[in-house]
Amino acid sequence: MQILAEAEDLPKAANIKTQLISLWTVPVFGAIYVIAFVAFPGFLPPMSPNLSADQVAAFYQEHTAAIRFSMVTYDLLGVMLIPFFMVIVVQMKRMPTQSHVFAYCYLTAAVSGATVFALANIFYLVAAFRPERNPELTMLLNDMAWITFIAPVGMIVGQNLLLGLAVYFDRGPNPVFPRWVGHFSVATALAMAPAALASIVKTGPLAWDGLLSFWLRNGAYAAFLIVMFFVVRGALQRQAVEEGVAA
Amino acid sequence: MTDTVEVASPPTTPKAGKRDVWIVFFIAPAFYTAFGVIFFALTRTMPPPRPDITTAQMVDFFVNHETTIQIGFGLLILIIGGAGIANGIVMYHMKRMSTGSVLAYSYMGGMAVGALPGCLLVAICFLTATFRPGRDPELMAFLYDLGLLSYVGSLGCFSVAYFAFAIAILYDRNEIFPKWLAYISVWQIVTEILAVPVFVSKAGPFAWNGSIAFWMGTVIFGIWLSCVIVFLKKATELEPVDSPPLD
Repeated sequence: MQILAEAEDLPKAANIKTQLISLWTVPVFGAIYVIAFVAFPGFLPPMSPNLSADQVAAFYQEHTAAIRFSMVTYDLLGVMLIPFFMVIVVQMKRMPTQSHVFAYCYLTAAVSGATVFALANIFYLVAAFRPERNPELTMLLNDMAWITFIAPVGMIVGQNLLLGLAVYFDRGPNPVFPRWVGHFSVATALAMAPAALASIVKTGPLAWDGLLSFWLRNGAYAAFLIVMFFVVRGALQRQAVEEGVAA
Repeated sequence: MTDTVEVASPPTTPKAGKRDVWIVFFIAPAFYTAFGVIFFALTRTMPPPRPDITTAQMVDFFVNHETTIQIGFGLLILIIGGAGIANGIVMYHMKRMSTGSVLAYSYMGGMAVGALPGCLLVAICFLTATFRPGRDPELMAFLYDLGLLSYVGSLGCFSVAYFAFAIAILYDRNEIFPKWLAYISVWQIVTEILAVPVFVSKAGPFAWNGSIAFWMGTVIFGIWLSCVIVFLKKATELEPVDSPPLD
């Protein structure tokens, strides 16, 4: 997007620029998340919940460095998507035919969801901190890490349902997001919802290493981020043109 | 039900309507009803099991209630977005007060952070315990203590939210909520302070299942929550249907 020279110093232009910077956290940190994901020795394929305590302890002993690298990366950068979610909040607050209660609920849910994500990697890191620990304790930390990472999907499910509702209520002549974004957001929520059961079952597609709880959940989330990057970029382009900041 | 969307309105003063506020309003009591069923009937954390029992009895607690803990907390981590929504509508009406946004944002901050220590961590601990009931009994007892102490003993997140809520109501000139609701919110803070001894006391009125630390706080919370829901309904009814979207 090319900001017009005459609009360069207007507050309106700064608002667009800061949203663009926040939007670009998605590809930048997304690329880093992929590296950390590949570097974690227990994601490709995901660790089975049926390993014995000794096998889990051996995993942390053999791969200590890679686990630390991967999870420190998530610890430092995992919550860096907050600026991106805040762009969505700000865009939801541009929707004129609704009260913006959805935007405030989305904001609350996004903050709560980040606290959960910030906790999961700590469990992995504590397990890797002393890999010689009693294997029972390492398995406990590993269970808490996986359950916290995969299962508490309620906040992101809530966020996506709220975003869907906001899009459906955005009925003015110039909607902020296209209508299909509402369907896409609801579909993402539904795809992630079954992963809550990973806190209960140990085998099959709903286990934390299963097709639904691991691959569909994480795949749907990644697809949502990629698609929303382009969707929000389009919305920012339209906002910039409407406000006379870009041509 | 009026459909304000069809009404042609000048572009300078968009009319928000309030169907979205009603949708969010109805989610709040629905979520808290589910919350009550989960904590009282299913997971047996309300009233909490005793702190003054042996390790073997703690293991028995998890074994005896395994299925209902899994159903209850599996459901909770799926619908926890409802907590974000219930907090979002309070924040929305607080922003409609003459007191400005500071206290509304403070309420949101306290509540959004409080979801993790206040109810998600006990879900994670109990689901981790029931995930492998054969775990070392000492570790089961650790999960029992961590879960229940964080659940009953997360004090400050909610205190700051009640503080912001009470101050906002007292200074508000738009009469969004009645003044006496502020004084009940102050009592909420008192009950949080009276729960401080749960970290020391293993039996008696100040234990985590005690008459003062638990029961008094729970009764006042129930009264407070019922009042908040009634007055959220009233505030939504009284909100003019042609008011512009919130800033």
